[in-house]
Amino acid sequence: MKKKILEIKNLHVQYKTSKGNVQAIKNVTFDIEKGESIGLVGESGCGKTTIAMAILGLLPSNGEVTEGQIIFNGEDLLTKTEEEMRQLRWLKISMIFQAAMNALNPVIRIEDQILEAILTHTPMSTEDAKARVKELYQMVGIDPTRAQDYPHEYSGGMKQRAIIAMALACNPDLIIADEPTTALDVLVRDQIISEVVKLQEELHMTMIYISHDISVIVETCNMIGVLYAGTLVEYAPTAELISNPLHPYTKGLLASYPSIKGEIKKLDPIPGEPPPLINPPPGCRFHPRNPGKEKICTEKEPILRLINDRHYVACHLV
Amino acid sequence: MHPEETKKKTLKEHLKYRYHSRKKKLLFTLKGFHANWLIFKKNKMGLFGLGLLICFGLMALASFILPLIDPMYHPMTGVDPMIFSSKGPSLTHWLGTDSLGRDILSQLLVGARVAFMIGVSAAFMTVTIGTTVGLLAGYFGKTVDFLLMRFADIILVLPDLLVIIILAAVIGGGKLSIWNIVIVISLLGWAGTARVVRSQTLSLKQRPYVDAAKISGSSEFGIIHRHIVPNIIPLSLLYMTFRVTSAILVEAALSFLGFGDTSTVSWGMMLQWCWKTGHMFKAPYWLLPPGISISLITLSFYLIGRAMEEIVNPRLRER
Amino acid sequence: MNLQKYILRRTIEIIVTLFIIISLLFILFRLAPGDPTSMIIDPEMTPEDIEHFRDAFGLNDSLWVQYVKYIFNIFRGEFGNSFHYDEPVIGIIWDKLLNTILLFTTATLLAAFAGITWGKYIAWKRGTWLEATITFTGLLLHTIFLPWFALLAIWIFGFKLNWFPLNGMMTPEVWLNPDTGIFRKVLDIIHHMMLPLFVLFTVDFARSMLVMKSSMLDTLREDYIVTAKAKGLKDRIIRNKHAARNAMLPVVTSVSLSIAFSINGSAITETVFSWPGLGRELVFAVSNNDYPLAQASFLLISALVLVANLISDILYAYLDPRIKY
Repeated sequence: MKKKILEIKNLHVQYKTSKGNVQAIKNVTFDIEKGESIGLVGESGCGKTTIAMAILGLLPSNGEVTEGQIIFNGEDLLTKTEEEMRQLRWLKISMIFQAAMNALNPVIRIEDQILEAILTHTPMSTEDAKARVKELYQMVGIDPTRAQDYPHEYSGGMKQRAIIAMALACNPDLIIADEPTTALDVLVRDQIISEVVKLQEELHMTMIYISHDISVIVETCNMIGVLYAGTLVEYAPTAELISNPLHPYTKGLLASYPSIKGEIKKLDPIPGEPPPLINPPPGCRFHPRNPGKEKICTEKEPILRLINDRHYVACHLV
Repeated sequence: MHPEETKKKTLKEHLKYRYHSRKKKLLFTLKGFHANWLIFKKNKMGLFGLGLLICFGLMALASFILPLIDPMYHPMTGVDPMIFSSKGPSLTHWLGTDSLGRDILSQLLVGARVAFMIGVSAAFMTVTIGTTVGLLAGYFGKTVDFLLMRFADIILVLPDLLVIIILAAVIGGGKLSIWNIVIVISLLGWAGTARVVRSQTLSLKQRPYVDAAKISGSSEFGIIHRHIVPNIIPLSLLYMTFRVTSAILVEAALSFLGFGDTSTVSWGMMLQWCWKTGHMFKAPYWLLPPGISISLITLSFYLIGRAMEEIVNPRLRER
Repeated sequence: MNLQKYILRRTIEIIVTLFIIISLLFILFRLAPGDPTSMIIDPEMTPEDIEHFRDAFGLNDSLWVQYVKYIFNIFRGEFGNSFHYDEPVIGIIWDKLLNTILLFTTATLLAAFAGITWGKYIAWKRGTWLEATITFTGLLLHTIFLPWFALLAIWIFGFKLNWFPLNGMMTPEVWLNPDTGIFRKVLDIIHHMMLPLFVLFTVDFARSMLVMKSSMLDTLREDYIVTAKAKGLKDRIIRNKHAARNAMLPVVTSVSLSIAFSINGSAITETVFSWPGLGRELVFAVSNNDYPLAQASFLLISALVLVANLISDILYAYLDPRIKY
């Protein structure tokens, strides 16, 4: 049995807003073993980034973990002090942000931003660190002579690669990638995905890959977790999930993607919208959009159950 | 139907349609005001500023009443038969008298009136000029834009107070009448508004509905009038609040330095008299009220302007 | 390389602008009501002097020739004679320029530094009583009427407390005494400068602080701050190296935009404190209908404003790598 890098147990996260408490994450449980990459997929606002922020301890001031444990390498991160977390960040767990965001500081040279990460967490000398930056650039496919440029001088694809390079800088145990290919054009997206897959094979990275695009996740991850309205509704190995989706939402999600090889069919979107998380519907959060719901769906919340070999589902109808 | 009758009927219907559509537009605008008021209300500082402004408004109104009570309260010519020099607050003169025995409170009230007069007229003229220039520059672009904006840049760079002072030298032989001051302030103050209106016009020009209007044959003037101007108005109004303070301050500084209109009582003038008659250290009841008034009216417009900015730019709310 | 090109371009722009201002002044003074010669020639001058200036300024020639002679004279430093001082204007205004630069530059730089530092601090302390109090005080100081503030300062610190002299730049006794050393003289100037500096500094500082606070609050919500936190950097480093470095850009812009306003304030302060600078000279000249002196003072102040704008624009270009030259 491989070592478990991350175990999330019964995680509950809420945000306090002027309009009330938002239950952003409810009862999320999953594990990640060393060398695995799990994809978290779901619509915008379903809580994917919240989980990432909760792991790193970077929830905004109005957010808090109300219940649950985040066990990393055997230790519960929620019991750690801010100083301990600070030492852990980037060194053990790092993050790949969306390049389309302003994730890189516009007035600091990119090399300096990567150096900063290295020098804060490792006892390397500046020259060694600079050599490391060159090494990282070669790994991700950027011309090392461009390291001294500013972020606005890079194209979108280059920025994304630089962000990946930065995330790899300290050889972390776990990397969380938050929508790294969204907002890139399709060709660049393909390059980046191949890059990520290549790096995964070479470095045996353990990854959490967050996206709303299931097609990207299918290419890069060996386990997939489907999130809906802050709850984990299905969790299975990739091949298993695609061939045998059990939760109605998962089925809907897969059905709403056209196949490039198959016959031309009308797209089948899931009707309705995700529920407001301030006042989620009682029982299963998906039931208002599920034509096949039964009475129990409106009353009781389903719990994640093991169906067969590492395939979990939270549904009354299974 | 008889052609005459159809014409009449359609005219009546047309007028009715015009009436109803205008009424709808008015209600829509009023609803807009109401919605904006609700946002404004949330900003406590803005409300405080508004409160201050209302106080000054009341002062301005009161300035008409006071001389009617007793001619001794006239700010320029009022003479108290008992007092001929600067004395402190008393029952007959709540803020005391100036060096000529005139009532300071009535001067202060008239100063409020004058401040509003100058501020509002100058701001109105400034914003009219600025909006027009900005619209023309933004909409017509190229040479028009280049020339107008270069001109605006030069005006922006110059310190307005000092320009007016040098103009005073040339035109007035050292002094300017109150309306000259207002006009000159407007002629020097439009550049900032013009710049901002121009940016807004440029971005509005790119909007698809402008292209659609052009294709469907609207005249240039029609496009400007119907599509661009309504979206510029909120910005112009916002800038008016900035210009009011600016105008009041420039007039006050001019009067303070001795270039103002000596036949008008303004707060700046009051400070000038206090200073030049050597009562600066002796008469706090004379020195303090006009200075506090100018500062507080500036504060009130600043707070109101900030609150209004939150309406125009939702990003600033609840930060 | 690019920065140099930018500096060159802006410098040329400024020279052009200055030229336009000079021309506008020419038009203004020639078109003014009354006899244009009275603007240059003091009726009390000797006939030789009158003839000399008539010729130098081309008052007997056509308008175009006058214009050319006018420009030429300015570059020669020939502004005519002051009516009041009865001396060449150029000699008078040159010292005043230095005095104005001293006061204005010190006040502006100090205010910018203090504003950035304090604004950064209170943005971090948002929501506390300290922040609310300082913001409120800042608002009051930002909106206070400058001439009145100057009078109050003189009254309280000069008259009542007697800490500072009431006006001027130098104490005659100190400077006329042949035995006083340089150090004592410099100290004297500084002593006189304290109050006007305080007045100019305070209002400018309040504005910079408010802008910096607002800018910091915006910057702290940016994504790259989340990145910096995720990298496990210390709070102090995030605040200074990542946030403040970005947040201070709008402050530099606001200083640039306020230069005209600050120069107004500087002129007022000089007048109230009798600090012998260009602003005061302008006010004084206009009050006395000393046209040559007024014109030259105004021109020199405009040049000063343009140079100040140039410097702050260059500074901004240096600080923000995103600016395309």
